[in-house]
Amino acid sequence: MTTTHAIEVEGLTKRFGEVTAVDGVTFAVESGEVFGFMGHNGAGKTTTLRMLLGLTPLTSGTARVLGREVGRETIEIRRTAGYLPAHYTLPPDMTPRQFLHYVGAMFGLPRDVVAARTEALLRRFDLVHAADRALRGFSTGMTQKVGLAQALLNEPRVLLLDEPTSGLDPLGRHELLELLRELARDKGVTVVFSSHILSDVEALCRRVAVLHRARLVAFGDVDHLKAQHGARTMDDLYLALVRKEAA
Amino acid sequence: MIRLQWLDYLATLRERKTWLCGAMLLYAVLSIPVMLARPPAHVQEAIAAWFGHGGPFVLFMYVWIDLAMNKMVAFLPVVLASGIVLRERDVGVLSILAAKPLSMPRYFALRAVSACAVMATLHVGAQLLGLVYFTARVPGFRPLAFLAAMTPHLFAAIFATCFSAAIAGWVKHRGASALIGLAVLGLLLGLSLIGFYQPAWRNLTLVNPMSLGALALGNLDHLGPKDLAPPMLALSLLSLAAIAIGAAGVRRMEA
Ligand SMILES: Nc1ncnc2c1ncn2[C@@H]1O[C@H](COP(=O)(O)OP(=O)(O)O)[C@@H](O)[C@H]1O
Ligand SMILES: [Mg+2]
Repeated sequence: MTTTHAIEVEGLTKRFGEVTAVDGVTFAVESGEVFGFMGHNGAGKTTTLRMLLGLTPLTSGTARVLGREVGRETIEIRRTAGYLPAHYTLPPDMTPRQFLHYVGAMFGLPRDVVAARTEALLRRFDLVHAADRALRGFSTGMTQKVGLAQALLNEPRVLLLDEPTSGLDPLGRHELLELLRELARDKGVTVVFSSHILSDVEALCRRVAVLHRARLVAFGDVDHLKAQHGARTMDDLYLALVRKEAA
Repeated sequence: MIRLQWLDYLATLRERKTWLCGAMLLYAVLSIPVMLARPPAHVQEAIAAWFGHGGPFVLFMYVWIDLAMNKMVAFLPVVLASGIVLRERDVGVLSILAAKPLSMPRYFALRAVSACAVMATLHVGAQLLGLVYFTARVPGFRPLAFLAAMTPHLFAAIFATCFSAAIAGWVKHRGASALIGLAVLGLLLGLSLIGFYQPAWRNLTLVNPMSLGALALGNLDHLGPKDLAPPMLALSLLSLAAIAIGAAGVRRMEA
């Protein structure tokens, strides 16, 4: 593959019976960028991410992740991807350390590699003091840290984060955005950042895709899109896009 | 894969339901000699009719298998396996784990094997504890015959666990899976000893996998590999088949 696109999506469609959750969506994510994936609740963000990981079959269209075909090379895609779902629970009876070792074993990584990465991630997320406490009863912020750590354990080339800032306090949010910038800049990780919080996307992403009621209503460089729609801020842009759609 | 299986087994051991099962088995071991000291009249009559003059050890083995271990095998596998993968899905752990490079059938097999390994750990633990305790408390107890007779029973317990897991793989609802598992295993176990008092049905009961675990009861005086190996082999194959069938059931399951 010679593409510089980490993710390519073409005419992606998902129907749940009568409901069309994702309707002919086309966009591409460049390698090593932090890409904003925006849209209101129910717009189809989660469903799109789940299709990319082979967690739900696509109804039609095609998609590639790092050149691998979605729906065909699921296991290979998952090997190189990290994923943090919007809603999840960590195994209540495990400790963070046990859970990270378990996830490492799911990737079939050598034991010493898993141990070293686990310790590095525990330090990175300031979890060393809680590493041997059962995950049941962890606060939202701590849970989110362990969630991020498990998504990074396989040193993914592509990181798919589904509304990762929701539930975080301002400091946690700031640290997360900083971490994502760092991953993209220093490690070349491609990050897809799904959010309905416009300020987070504005702070982090140069390029975005905007979903509205299952359809793609905008895709590209944020500054370009703003100029194109005569918008000064991200809020203005989003409102312009949505109003245009409604008209 | 071996590493993952080991970690998954350890995680399953630590779950609360495993401790519950362990406590029930402990109770069974401790209560049997007490019950045996004054067996209920109907049990005594039945045993006299079925086994004639089998002596105290035959009586003990019958009580141990029928009143204790078979009840356990109708119940513990359901506790351990009727919710595999379903519980992870309902709790929300699967949203994370399903995105790892393990297909749903592979994950199901992983969890099912761990449930079997925990069942085996508990079963063997109960027999070993029983070995010590019964040697001290049960007149005429024969340790070697006891262990030999309980080995096929272990395989029946493992099969029951796989069977319960297979139901989970197709029913996909935790409550229903547990109820169906209890009903079917209860029925199979209830009928498993029928060949002993209705010799005409002996061959028919052989299609009941649970009977295979208790066949040794009929032959306690000279149990050898050729009595023990065939039921163990049959139960092993049935266990593998049950896991494969359950895994096929979750092929399209979503987290
Ligand atoms: N498993 C499902 N079955 C039926 N409808 C679903 C399912 N998952 C999502 N939907 C519907 O698809 C649409 C898009 O949902 P989702 O992708 O979760 O949106 P978002 O993540 O942008 O909030 C919504 O209307 C939602 O109700
Ligand atoms: Mg969502």
